[in-house]
Amino acid sequence: MVSKTEETQLSNLENQVDNGGGGAWEFLCLVRKLKVRRSEKVLKHGLSILRDPKNRSSLGPDEWTLYEQVAIAAMDCQCLNVAKDCIKVLHKKFPESKRVGRLEALLLEANGSWEEAEKAYSSLLEDNPLDQAIHKRRVAMARAQGNMSAAIEFLNKYLETFMADHDAWRELAEIYVSLQMYKQAAFCYEELILSQPMVPQYHLAYADVLYTLGGLENLQTAKKYYASTIDLTGGKNTRALFGICLCSSAIGQLSKGRNKDDKESPELQSLAATALEREYKQIAPDKLSLLSTALKSLKVSA
Amino acid sequence: MGGDSRYEIAQDAYVKLILHALKHKASAVNGVLLGRVFSQNDVVEITDSVPLFHSHIGLLPPLEISLLLIEEHYAAKGINIVGYFHANERYDDYELGGAAKNIGDHIYRYFPQAVVLLLDNKKLEALPKSRDRSPVMQLYTRDASKNWKPAGSDGSSQLNIREPSANVVLLDYISTEKWKDVVDFDDHLDDISKDWLNPELFK
Repeated sequence: MVSKTEETQLSNLENQVDNGGGGAWEFLCLVRKLKVRRSEKVLKHGLSILRDPKNRSSLGPDEWTLYEQVAIAAMDCQCLNVAKDCIKVLHKKFPESKRVGRLEALLLEANGSWEEAEKAYSSLLEDNPLDQAIHKRRVAMARAQGNMSAAIEFLNKYLETFMADHDAWRELAEIYVSLQMYKQAAFCYEELILSQPMVPQYHLAYADVLYTLGGLENLQTAKKYYASTIDLTGGKNTRALFGICLCSSAIGQLSKGRNKDDKESPELQSLAATALEREYKQIAPDKLSLLSTALKSLKVSA
Repeated sequence: MGGDSRYEIAQDAYVKLILHALKHKASAVNGVLLGRVFSQNDVVEITDSVPLFHSHIGLLPPLEISLLLIEEHYAAKGINIVGYFHANERYDDYELGGAAKNIGDHIYRYFPQAVVLLLDNKKLEALPKSRDRSPVMQLYTRDASKNWKPAGSDGSSQLNIREPSANVVLLDYISTEKWKDVVDFDDHLDDISKDWLNPELFK
């Protein structure tokens, strides 16, 4: 996951390189570091470095990392010939390498040769059964073929061993949400919040899932997690602010006719509404009246 | 309801949705269709569209907020939500998934002639060669047993694009990578300075 500052830094670098201002290598390094998917740009700028022998040699040992990065980007853009060439170079330099073997299997995947890729990964796993990247490729292959139940099975098995892999928990949660298996998605976010309690995105996602599940208890818990998101982001998370308003409204609807003990204090909702209006007034003033009307329609008669 | 209804989509509404899908090639995307009924000939006119999300489709809070704001904005112009657009994550997935059906059902409750449009990736890919003028989307309507059924080639429930050269315009935009300029509701919620109305997109 990328923070806003990191995202801005990346965009700025990207624009700089695109407009001929140099910094291609810095951009490629940042993409690698942040693990983001910018395959078209990586392919374009990476290739331009690789094709220039002077630039290439000035990279030193990083040259090979670049070949790998470009190979993967090429596969993502379906430029399989470029990928093949890069892998050939790497194979020549590192003939016994498992890392290159992984790339070759990835190329089989990119070609759609699922069975051959599966065979290649299996044999790589024999020598190194704890290779996390390969386990994850199997999940990716299942997902790419639309076999969601297999993807879920693989991921769950993977997480039994590598339970600290946050990316895997997030991926599993996303798959569950896409299949509308919200209870299971909630469990994933609970694991994430337990291990990384200060990451606001998990609180927010958990709240969203709980709200979607519905029911008074879930809504009340969702409201708490929207509140903790706001806390962790210094009040700057628009989604969480909206979430508070939605929860308050829904809880109010469900509480109609119940005794006063269950009534929520309206302070949190009005604080959130005020914060939203302030934000919109400052940044998106043309949408302010829309927002105000929407917020009014959410306010349940106290 | 449904049956022999005719649906017409405006070029801008049509192109916007496809550009949105192209902007987020690796994920499912969705959008909302806006328009009105022409009572004279019972044609449903889809005059505009708003791209919604490219992540976690199936979570309610962002959807509820977006529908609230969108409805509010367009009601002032006498236009309401008439349908839903969905593009699946995978190239060869032609199934209308659970989330899409649910959102379709929700819209149907307020507009009984509601439609669901599903992006047809193969048709889109073939466009440069096929020079097809028909929309690269599959139309779904609700039948009597409350299921979303694809409109058949038997002519019932047709979707036309209002401007016959829309696909030519679309291909042109694709070649200039116009999709980069599309803003959806996800983008707006992450940065409210981004306008989900996309007022400058086709200027």
